[in-house]
Amino acid sequence: MAAFDYAPAIVLLPFLSFLVSVGVAVSGRDLLPKGGALPGIAATAGSFLLSVWMFLTVSGGQYYDETIYTWAAVEGSFELTFGLLIDPLSAMMLVIVTLIATLVHVFSLGYMNDDGQTGLPRYYAGLGLFTASMLGFVVADNLLMAFMFFELVGLCSYLLIGFWFREAGPPSAAKKAFLVTRFGDYFFLIGVVAVFATFGTSQFAGAEAFPVLAEEVLLGEASANTFGFAPQTWFTIVGLLVLGGVVGKSAQFPLHTWLPDAMEGPTPVSALIHAATMVAAGVYLVARMYGFYALTPTTLAIIAFIGGFTALFAATMGVVKREIKQVLAYSTISQYGYMMLALGSGGYIAATFHLMTHAFFKALLFLGAGSVIIAMHHNEDMWDMGNLKEKMPVTYATFLAGSLALAGIFPFSGFWSKDEVLYEALVHGLGGLGGGEAEGALLLGAWAMGLLAVFFTGFYTFRMVFLTFHGESRSDTARNPHGVGWNVKGPLAVLGVLAVVAGFVNMVPVAKLTGAEIEFLHKWLEHGPAGLTSEHYTELTHEFAHYTAGTLAGGELGTALISGGVSLALALAGVGLAHVLYNVPEPTEHTDKLGGIKTLLYNNYYQDEYQVWLATGLTLPVSRAADKFDQGVVDGVVNGVSSVSLFSGSRVKQLQTGVVSNYAMLLTLGLTVLLVVFGLLGGWF
Amino acid sequence: MLLQSQLPNSLALAPVLVLALTALLLLVVDSIDPDSTNSAALAGISVVGALTSLGFAGWFLSAGTGQVSTGGGISLYGEALVVDGMALFFMAIFASVTAMVAIGSYDYLRGKPHQAEFYTLVMFAATGMGLMAAANSLATAFVALELASLPSYALVAFLKKNRGSVEAGLKYFLIGAVSSAVFVFGISLVYAATGSMVFSDVAEALNGTEFVGVAGLGVLMIAGGFAFKTASVPFHFWAPEAYEGAPAPISAFLSSASKAAGFAVAFRVFTEAFALSAIPAGIDWVLLFQILAVVTMTLGNFAAATQENVKRMLAYSSIGHAGYALIGLAALSAGSAQNGNVMGASMAHLLVYGFMNTGAFLFIALTEHWDIGRRFEDFNGLGSQAPVACAAMTVFMFSLAGLPPFGGFFSKYFLFAGAIGAGFWWLAAVGAVNSALSLFYYSRVVKAIWIEDPSGEFQITSKPIGLYAAVMIAALGTLVLLPGFGPVIEMAQTAATALFA
Amino acid sequence: MVPAEWYLLLAAAVFCIGLIGILTRRNALLFLMSVELMLNAANINFVAFSYQWGNVTGQTFGLFTMALAAAEVAIGIGIILVLYRNFDDIDVTKATTMRW
Repeated sequence: MAAFDYAPAIVLLPFLSFLVSVGVAVSGRDLLPKGGALPGIAATAGSFLLSVWMFLTVSGGQYYDETIYTWAAVEGSFELTFGLLIDPLSAMMLVIVTLIATLVHVFSLGYMNDDGQTGLPRYYAGLGLFTASMLGFVVADNLLMAFMFFELVGLCSYLLIGFWFREAGPPSAAKKAFLVTRFGDYFFLIGVVAVFATFGTSQFAGAEAFPVLAEEVLLGEASANTFGFAPQTWFTIVGLLVLGGVVGKSAQFPLHTWLPDAMEGPTPVSALIHAATMVAAGVYLVARMYGFYALTPTTLAIIAFIGGFTALFAATMGVVKREIKQVLAYSTISQYGYMMLALGSGGYIAATFHLMTHAFFKALLFLGAGSVIIAMHHNEDMWDMGNLKEKMPVTYATFLAGSLALAGIFPFSGFWSKDEVLYEALVHGLGGLGGGEAEGALLLGAWAMGLLAVFFTGFYTFRMVFLTFHGESRSDTARNPHGVGWNVKGPLAVLGVLAVVAGFVNMVPVAKLTGAEIEFLHKWLEHGPAGLTSEHYTELTHEFAHYTAGTLAGGELGTALISGGVSLALALAGVGLAHVLYNVPEPTEHTDKLGGIKTLLYNNYYQDEYQVWLATGLTLPVSRAADKFDQGVVDGVVNGVSSVSLFSGSRVKQLQTGVVSNYAMLLTLGLTVLLVVFGLLGGWF
Repeated sequence: MLLQSQLPNSLALAPVLVLALTALLLLVVDSIDPDSTNSAALAGISVVGALTSLGFAGWFLSAGTGQVSTGGGISLYGEALVVDGMALFFMAIFASVTAMVAIGSYDYLRGKPHQAEFYTLVMFAATGMGLMAAANSLATAFVALELASLPSYALVAFLKKNRGSVEAGLKYFLIGAVSSAVFVFGISLVYAATGSMVFSDVAEALNGTEFVGVAGLGVLMIAGGFAFKTASVPFHFWAPEAYEGAPAPISAFLSSASKAAGFAVAFRVFTEAFALSAIPAGIDWVLLFQILAVVTMTLGNFAAATQENVKRMLAYSSIGHAGYALIGLAALSAGSAQNGNVMGASMAHLLVYGFMNTGAFLFIALTEHWDIGRRFEDFNGLGSQAPVACAAMTVFMFSLAGLPPFGGFFSKYFLFAGAIGAGFWWLAAVGAVNSALSLFYYSRVVKAIWIEDPSGEFQITSKPIGLYAAVMIAALGTLVLLPGFGPVIEMAQTAATALFA
Repeated sequence: MVPAEWYLLLAAAVFCIGLIGILTRRNALLFLMSVELMLNAANINFVAFSYQWGNVTGQTFGLFTMALAAAEVAIGIGIILVLYRNFDDIDVTKATTMRW
């Protein structure tokens, strides 16, 4: 167990680098070389090594679930604790997060330091705290602790998105990100309280974990306070409350609007946010407490539908964007939609798989975009680029690998994971439909949307690639780009390799075809502490949500191949269309052909507008009314009481005339009144 | 058993005897050196006497003298007096207040004539208060009450050339004279109905008496006498003027110690002589005190809210606090197990009040010493000139208002909680509303001291050591009573529960 | 033997006379005298019921009351004296510098 003694250090190292950087930032002097980047790199690299150690230890079949610190305890009621839970899921996530954080730190040397940015200690302090918060969230062993780190993650994203606070855009984007995610987090917080009120604990693992208790309640083996609802209904409500936080953080419809704006932050931060930290936190939370969600079919169906819808919805918006980072932003929303779709369809492994591959290729794409942005002197408009593949071959090669993965082209990593997501949705949708479950139709609908989104993904991804790297250079900067150093190319190379190979850990169709035992991720997630294994989750979804696998022609294998083939064909179709339209020497904007839809897409389906309307047109009048009520009625009553008090006070004191004879008179009167009253009451006369 | 086995029983009265001896000693000093202006010696003797008395009271309290654990109250002089936990508790209050007042008077009286008489009168009044707490017969109650009152009249009018002081003395005296006449007439009626003056005999005779009307009238008039002493409605009219016009240390003395003495004797009379278990149903004195409590606290607080003069505001607030303390009598019910808790809480509140209110009036004495005026505006910006004293005053104000973390918070909390526990939640509610209102006028003082800019030019030239010391002791007491409130409330509630046994 | 009620009535009458005197007289000395009447009303009760009950408690206490009344008058006269010095009058309604 020696390895686990060092587990807290994974979180504490980046926190230490945060403290160092804050100290430097506060001192206001240039105390550290590279503006504090080196402690950050050292800390995250250390965390990465420790995470790998944890990963290896966990592969040895050892798990860790330990309460570190109890910070509040109510005797006989509940305890609020900090603790660590290291199982296959969190160990894998630790490796991903620390790896990407390390690479982002290195990349920042090229993106921030070499660019002569100021305020670097503040930047690295933010990165350190961001990483530490996310790691704390990943290893959290209870929902409350997870919530606290979830909020810290939100805070850090606010600080980093608004890093360039002197410009107009970033502060506003930071505020938007903070407020929109906070809106979701309100529900999460209520959900946490509801979990405590219902189960008296919020532990994820162990015999007393709340998913286990919930299962026992549904089986009638235990009882819990469900506030007068049927247990199933109440658990659905609690699940949806927590889901509020997930939807906000993972930028799912309708709370996705903050994410495109968050592109105002430095690009390495975007990479971190999108690939490994903030946005991943939402999906990870659902995976973490999947034992609870698996109990309520309604919640699962809602998750799946939101996911499928978001995948398609965001992909269509990515089609018309002019700026490279905007395209990537919408692709992130869309890809997290796939993960939600997988989770909702009972594809716990598929979601985790996609979370992993996406982390690698999205980090790669953002860093690649960062590299392009460095080269383009911070011009992000793709219509000003073109033909960059000649000037920056490393970036082009890696970016292309990432794009192929994102588009889901065989055999890049994205293909395998996206394929499995769609496969899970399809078979469970079919099974549900076959079993006559209403959720089956919902799943199939979500699957259809996810499938359609594959086409758009292929299209917008390669539209981006062709516009950026192919054709003729369309501006002077594109003809003569700024060079990038090793610290940019290094991380790109590492991630490029991963984007290609990460999918090989779980080639389900190949395994089915050949019968070879190569589904490593399945095996990885099958073991773990009791109640946290994928097998257990499959049982739960089967037993409580009645998920069964249905098939198309050709049985299981046929279905897998058909599903993979169709999605690959759609992706290729999208790529092909992009090739036809944009892989020409001088591409033109084809958006006018979309007619009215163009405006709709440019305006992101007016999501921002309707949310602004909700804020100003609805919430503001309601708030005004509440304010009126407060000022008029509540304050009125309060002021009234005070003036009545003062007035009666000024009257009462008039009794005190200063003439002692009057006092004697009043005294006699008072005594007489009392005498008469009590005489009558007591019958003295 | 501890004390009884070592010392004669009559020495149980030592806290009072010491006060009386100190008074006599001061008279001796005065006759040896008439018109002495040696303040240090006079104040020193008084302080030593008061502290000795406090020492005895504290010793006896901790040794368990007269308490249930050592065999119950020690009755003396043919049951005329009794020394038990409650008597000793109140004696400790009186001794503490007397000591603070004596320390504060050292500076206040500097250069004034008749100092020996002043201290003598204070000590005699304190003796009377101690006897009130120990009185076990209506006769001793009356004599003790007069012994406390008569020196007080003279003390209020002590500043013979000050019209305010004389006017205050006159009003206090006249209302006091009427009240004691009412009181003694009440005693005569109770005597007429029962043929006895000793509390236990009165209770016995009242049980099933046929003279309900006469006895009831007597009870009502006796309650009137106590209402005068505690400055409760409708016998409160003297209080605003007397407290305002009197020398500030005397205001402190009267509003803290004298009021507590009124409650001490009232608690004993109404639990022993007119015990709920013995009194005829027609004499519903609990209802009487409920009415008095509500009216008193409301009137006191409402009138205080509109005052412009800080000292007069404190006078009215003192009436309001009498209303709170009356809850100790108003929230009783026959045979209830909560009775001891409620009355104990009231006693504890009087103890805390003894410190915080004495401190507040001594702060006024300080400002009178500096001659800066009495209105709220006159206090503007005082905090920058005398921060230490003003910090102490802030403690007193917030504690009087019942804000945590000061002593007044816990005592009020226990008082209201006791009332709720006894089923009189509405009394607690009225008390809480009044407390909220009181915060308004108490915080006005704090605001003037710290936040407002000085309106007029005044320069504080002297730092009178005695007054400062007294204010600091009071502030310390108010603060120490927060952590030390546990034993205090326990002791008070044990002592009060013994009365109902 | 005179019934007890009569004593009570007599005492009550004397008490009320004293009280009315207090309410109507503005001269401080007359105020004092009225208080004396009230105190003596109590004394009537004490003496009468001491006889009725057959113990001497009441009579003894009557003596106490007289002594206390004397002391009270002593203090009262003193205060009236300084009142006269300060206000040049012994009208109790003249001293009204403090009110409300």
